[in-house]
This record gives sequence, C-alpha cells and structure tokens, in this order.
Amino acid sequence: MSVIETHKAQRPRLLFFQLLIGAMLLVLAAGLAYRQLFRSGDYGERERLQNQRRVLVPGPRGNIYDRDNHLLVGNRSRFAVTLYLDQLRREFRTEYIQIVRRYRESEAAGDITRSDRPSPGQLEQIARAQVVQRYLDQINRLLGRNDQVALRDLLRHFQQQLLLPYILLDDLKPEEFARLLERLPIQSPLQVYTSSTRHYPYGSAAAHVLGYVGSTEEIDVEDVPDEDLKTYAFKGSAGRDGLELHYDSLLQGKTGGATYWVDPAGFRVRSAVKPVTPQQGGRLDTSLDIDLQIAAEKAIDQFETLKGAVAVLDVRTGEVLVLASKPDYDLNAFSPRLSAAAAQDINDREAWANLAISGVYPPGSTFKLITTIAGLRSGRLTTDNSTADCEGTMRIGGRIFVCDKSASGYARHGVIALREAIAKSCDIFFYTYGLRIGPNLIADEARRFQLDQPTGIDLPHETRRMLIPDPEWKKATQHEGWFDGDTANMAIGQGFIGVTPLRMACLVASLARGETTTRPTLLHDPHRATQHTEPIGLTTGQYATLVSGMEGSTIDGTAKIFQTPTYRIPGLRIAGKTGTAQTTRDGKKINIAWFVCFAPVEDPKIAMAVAIEGDTPGESFAGGLYSAPVAQAVLKAWFEKSQQRVPAVSGVAAR
Amino acid sequence: MPSNRFDQAKPFATLGIVVLGWLLLPVFVKVFLRVGFFELQAPVHATTSYVRDLQEYWADRAHSNNELVEAGRQLRHVYAGYEYQAQQMEAQRAEIARLEQLLRLPSNPDYRFEPARVARRDLSGWWQQLVIRKGANYDIPIGAPVVYSGGVVGRVREVHAYTAVVDLVTSPRVRLAATIEDDPRPVSYQGGLNPPLAPARGIVEFVPPDLVTYSSAPRRLVTSGLGGVFPAGLTIGYVSRLEASTDGLFQSGEVSLDPRLSELTEVTVLVPLSPD
Repeated sequence: MSVIETHKAQRPRLLFFQLLIGAMLLVLAAGLAYRQLFRSGDYGERERLQNQRRVLVPGPRGNIYDRDNHLLVGNRSRFAVTLYLDQLRREFRTEYIQIVRRYRESEAAGDITRSDRPSPGQLEQIARAQVVQRYLDQINRLLGRNDQVALRDLLRHFQQQLLLPYILLDDLKPEEFARLLERLPIQSPLQVYTSSTRHYPYGSAAAHVLGYVGSTEEIDVEDVPDEDLKTYAFKGSAGRDGLELHYDSLLQGKTGGATYWVDPAGFRVRSAVKPVTPQQGGRLDTSLDIDLQIAAEKAIDQFETLKGAVAVLDVRTGEVLVLASKPDYDLNAFSPRLSAAAAQDINDREAWANLAISGVYPPGSTFKLITTIAGLRSGRLTTDNSTADCEGTMRIGGRIFVCDKSASGYARHGVIALREAIAKSCDIFFYTYGLRIGPNLIADEARRFQLDQPTGIDLPHETRRMLIPDPEWKKATQHEGWFDGDTANMAIGQGFIGVTPLRMACLVASLARGETTTRPTLLHDPHRATQHTEPIGLTTGQYATLVSGMEGSTIDGTAKIFQTPTYRIPGLRIAGKTGTAQTTRDGKKINIAWFVCFAPVEDPKIAMAVAIEGDTPGESFAGGLYSAPVAQAVLKAWFEKSQQRVPAVSGVAAR
Repeated sequence: MPSNRFDQAKPFATLGIVVLGWLLLPVFVKVFLRVGFFELQAPVHATTSYVRDLQEYWADRAHSNNELVEAGRQLRHVYAGYEYQAQQMEAQRAEIARLEQLLRLPSNPDYRFEPARVARRDLSGWWQQLVIRKGANYDIPIGAPVVYSGGVVGRVREVHAYTAVVDLVTSPRVRLAATIEDDPRPVSYQGGLNPPLAPARGIVEFVPPDLVTYSSAPRRLVTSGLGGVFPAGLTIGYVSRLEASTDGLFQSGEVSLDPRLSELTEVTVLVPLSPD
C-alpha cells in the first residue's frame, strides 16, 4: 500500500480536523469582522484617547481703568525660558545608558556593590536631571547666573505636565530675555516663552479696592474641543480680593488651547491640531479717580504709622471716586506671587483690611447731623427757637457729661442755637435736645439713612457689623435697661453706634442731594443717571440751617483749619462736620478723628468721609486737626482738576 | 529569466546599497565629506567673484577723466563730512569713557571691523545666505554680526578656511533682540519666509501694545544691543503696521527690509575683541 493510499484511508479524521480548523478560522474571521466592522468606532475612540492630549492655555485677564481711562491694572509680560522635553528623548536615553555603564564599571572595580546601584526608575530620573541641568548651564553661561534644576519640580513635571514645556527660569528681566532671544538657536529645545502676569502701574494706590489675583489650576473652558481627552493646563489666575475678585468673571480671559498627538511615553510627536487662541478678558472701567486717590493716600501717609480710611463719592451718581485705606501694600508684590516675607510684613502691619468698608467706628459728632434731622422732623428741635446754655458740663442721670474738652479745658459755648451748635459741635446742645428727641426717634432716623446696613458696594468683604442701638436692642443683647446717659451718648455719636467710613460718605452724599440714601458703585458710566431716593423730609429753611451749620464748621467752627493760609481753597465753599469718637482697642481707649463734608455748597458734586485712628491712648485727636487736612488734600485736587476741565468756558463767560 | 530580472533591478539595488552605506557611515566621515565638498567648491566661488571684480575694474577703467575728476571732487566732499563726524565721534567716545568711569559702568563691547567681499549670494525660498571671501584665515568667528552701510546684514553661520557663510537678516534662521527707535523696550525680530524676487520682509513680535506705527511714517527697527551680539542702533528695517495679538499682551507686525540686501557686494564683519 502506497503512502498516498494510507493517507486516503485516514480521510475522515483529516476531515474532522479540517472542519475544526475551518470553524476556528471562521470564528477568527467573524471576530475580526465584528471588531473591524462593528466595533471600529470604539477602537478608534480608544486610540484617540490614548494618543491625543489636550493642552489648555488661559487667556490674559482684562485691564482695569479709572474714570479718566488711566490704566490701574494691566498685564505685563512675564519672560521665561523653557525646555521642550519631547526633543530630548534620545539624550535622556543616551545619558541613562552612560550612567548605567559607569555604575557597572564601578561595580567591576569593586568601588560599589550591586546593592548600591539605584533602581532603574531612579537612574532614569538622574539621567533626566543631568540632561536638563546641561541645558540650564547653557542659560547660566549666557546670563551669568548659577541656577540649579529643582529636582522635585522636574519630577512633578514629568509625572503631571509632560506635554507642556518645562520652565527652566521664570520672570526674567527684559535684558535677559533679549539676550536669550539673540543667543539661543532658533531650532534649539531651549526657547523663550512669554506669558502674562498682573501689573499695577500705581503700586499700592487703591490696593484694597483693586485687589489681587492668585494662581489657580481651575480654568474655565468653553470652546476648546476634545474635552474627553486627557488634559494638561497652564496655571490660570483668579481674583482673590477687591475688584479682581468681585468682577472675576468679567476680567477672566477666554481659555485657548490645542490638541497634540503623543507617543506611548506621552511625548509630543506632531504639531498642534485644532488650535484655539486664548483671548483677553473684558475691560473694567471703574469710577475711581486715581489722582484723587493718590492725593488721599498721600495725605494719610503724612501721619506715618496711623491707620485711616477715606471714602469719596460723586454726589449725583454715587460713583466712588476714592476709597483709600491705610496701611496698605504694594500690589506688585503679588505679581507673579507673594513671597512669605512680604505676606508676613502685611500681617505685621495689619494691612490686609480695607478699613473704608470693614472698619466699624463710632461716628462721634458727625452723627449730630442725624440727631439734628430727627429733631427737626419730629418738631422737638426748631431752627429759630431751640437754644441751649452750654456751661461746659451737664449732669445726666447722676453723671457729669462734658462739652468738647480742649487743652484750655471744657468748651463753654454759652447760649447757643442750632446753626452754631452744628458749626461748633456743642455737645451740651445735643445732649439737651437728644434727651428731648429720645433714642427711638434718633435710631429710626439713622435707620432711615440706612446707617445700620451695608452699602452694597461692589466689593467683597464689606462688613455687616455696623450698629444703630436702641432700648430694645440693649435689653435683648446687654440685658440692661436704657438710661438717659445712653441717649446723651447716642445724640453725639458715641456709645454703641458703629458705622463704616463708606457708609458715612453715603450719608453726606445723600444729605447733599436732600435725600436719604446713596448706593455707591465702583463702576463708571458717563451716562449714569442721578440717583433719586426718599427725600430728606426737611423744609427748605430747615435744610438751609443744617447746611449753613455745616458750612459754618469750615468757616469759624471746628474745621476752621480750612480758613488758614495752608488749607484754604479759594473759590470752594465746603459744608463739613468734624467728629472725635472714642473706641476701645486692646483694653485701651483711643480716639477716632472724623471729618465728613460735601462741596461745593451751592452745587454739591463731591462728598466724602475721612476717619483716622489715633495710636496713643488718651491723646487729643480731634477730627478738625487730623481728618480735615486729609479731606482738604482731596478737595484741593478735585477742585483743581475740575477747574482745568472748564477753563475755556470760564474764559468766554468772563468776557 | 532570473538573471534578466536582477539586471532590471540593478539600479535600484545599487541605489539602496549607496543609501545604506551613507546611513552607516560614521558621523565624523559625513562631516568631513561635507566640509571637504564645501572647501572644494570655495575656490570656484572665489574665482567667480574675482572675475566679477575684474569686470568691474575694467568697467571703471572705461570712465572718462572728467568723470573721474568729478567723482574725486564728490568724494572729497564726502570725506570732509566724514572727517568732521570722526572728530565728533572721538569727542563723544572720550565723554562716554569718562561717564563709564564715573558711573563705574562696564564698557560697551568693542569690535574689529573686517571688510569682506561677497563671493556668492544664495537667495531662494530655502536659503537666504551669502558666502564671503574671508573665513578662518581672518579669524572670523561663528555667530559674528555682519553689517553694511544700510545696517544689519546677518550673522556668520559657518566658517571655512577661506570663506564664511552668512545667514542674511531676511532668513527665518536669524532672530535678533531689537527695539523700535526711541523706545527702550526689547522686541523680537525674525526673518520671514521670503520667496525669490519678492520684497524681503521680516517679522517683529512682542511689541508692547502702546507702541503705534503708521504706514505713512514707518518706524525704524534697530538692534537693541541687549543681546550682546550686535551693537545697539543698527538699522534692521522699518515697521509700518502692527496688529494686536489675540492674547492682548503684545503686537506683532511685518518689517520691510532694505532691497539692497539682495545686491550686496561688500560687507563688514564685526569681530568681537573680547568674545564671551
């Protein structure tokens, strides 16, 4: 029997295996068809997710301007030198091999044992660090520096940010940037890189209002496709305080980015696809007047270490022209990031708080304006017949209350009427009529002017701790009855009352318009309509007496400093009211010097409140001596500026 | 037939072997071959250049005596002007030295001026370069700045025994730290992609957003001196139009370059006297 015949005899078995193999091939073919025809989309998607990465680049923040279009906050370029790691893969490998070889040679020579050799992962890190340091040394040579690679940063970059260029040196000076531009070969893995960081041309001016930003890894992404891909993002910035925080969504730039193809190790292998360019955030036009702001801050600075705040409003619109708070800080110290030493310095000087909106002080004699309005509206005080005999002291409920205490002793104003009482800030007059008016009417009047409410200004961290007390409040919180002494104190703005400088500025602006409420805003709108709120509720004569008393304060009253040659502003009539309040800090009594005013009297345009904290317990610290000069500096700057704006009109009119 | 098939494939096989051989050659051999090839070519470029010089010489000989007298007269005027400027410059140099001493400032880098004839201009979509007739024999260093009467020419990229290759300022391979005249802030200049026969242009980037230019009065772009390669104040070109970059940080724009760059016959290499 031939071999062929033998095989023929076994055909049934062969047939079985043929069928088996055929069936298996069929299964394979079916599987292939299933995966290629029906699951191809899934695999394509998996391949896309594995091989593509998205890189996000936040857009620069928008600029902030003052009402005259002066740039208050912008962006400055931040120069860095970066290293594109994806171009160094071969160098990393070569370095790794050389390091391993050196270790083997050392082992062979008996210098080290096998156990001394680092693990492959560690060797890889060493190789990377050495290559990166070589490139950094090139930069060091060009710039005359001696920087070292931050190993922890480098490791983190490899683990988390491999697709992004590694920043070797940051925040280079323009000269260093220029040097690298010219010295680095265009094709080099080393490249100069620019990004933006906040820039504050006026340094510390309006620091608390403008606020600052901090870096964040959470950036808003809207129109950058491929959100399902693994994403790497450059750090963005977010507002942390002031306008930067309140208007963060407006100022925030629009994020751009691109998708890159990467190899299995995560290195980039192709240039960007679907790039979306980042865009700058919106501009913010504030109502601040930087010239007045600087004038106010400079005026407070003359008292060196004293704390204080100034709030200045446009009477008509409520737009905030100045919101100053001292001590403050240089905003440029926050850019690109605040150092620990600078933060400690701000802490030590207690400079974080914006006292204009968070400093709660008793208003002192400036509150007499409220007492006056309450009395006039209730009929318990009249412009013609209400007088008091001021002998310097007054006994109320078994306790002696004094009129203003000066170096020469208690003030003795004699028989004094309302206008003079406001101008000379006679406490005896207001004790007398305060008791007649009563605490509830005074409190109601203060609440009508919303002195117990936050102003609602477009800034974060405005305090809600302001307080207008009344007998009910005292009973509920202090569990005590209300005494006449409390009423006397309340009538002159002492005791439990607490208000902020901004709230007092709103009060004066409202008074200047003959109304009760002013809502302040930091947004500038040249077409903003005049605010109209509830009328003040005084007759023309009553209102005129009130204003006349306030003007008298700056002529021959407690703010007569305005008539001295140094502080006089020729051509400007000012209606003001001084105040000196006591408050307790760390168990010691200190004075708060107040001055509130509006001007010009005949056509009010600007209103302000100034509060300066004394730092020496028991020191005589009158509003007329400390706060009025600050107000004068602002008024002078404002008056000169407003005169410059209409010289041609005046010239024509003069003819 | 198998032998016929191999005959037909022989050219491809040969090409494959040559390519494989080239790929397997050590790097130093390739570099040697490349440099050797260039050095062999160099005399051809130099000879062509000398012949062109000779042509110009005989063309100059054809001028009449009157023309030469007139040219000499004009030259005397120019010379007088330059002599006066040279005296002024001496006085200014002395003043600068005095101020440097007074303010303890480091001296500005000083250069040796090395004039060189252009042996070859290679201007195409790929290359924008000159070959000059001086090289290692005159201690020309790689990276040295090259200038002419109109400003910046470029930088030396390669130095050979008797010649050097200069990347023109029109080439995308050249990047300079520049300033727009009368503004101290540094900007980046880079050559553009310049096709042949088109006016040469470059790109200026990182221009601060407050700088303004008008097409009717273009602003001069000059070297900043901050990069440490070129001295300050040399003309690169003119910027007539700037556009805001979309990130809002900077502006960028085109720089019009001097058309004489494509006709240069003589340039000056600035050899740093104290290279860093």
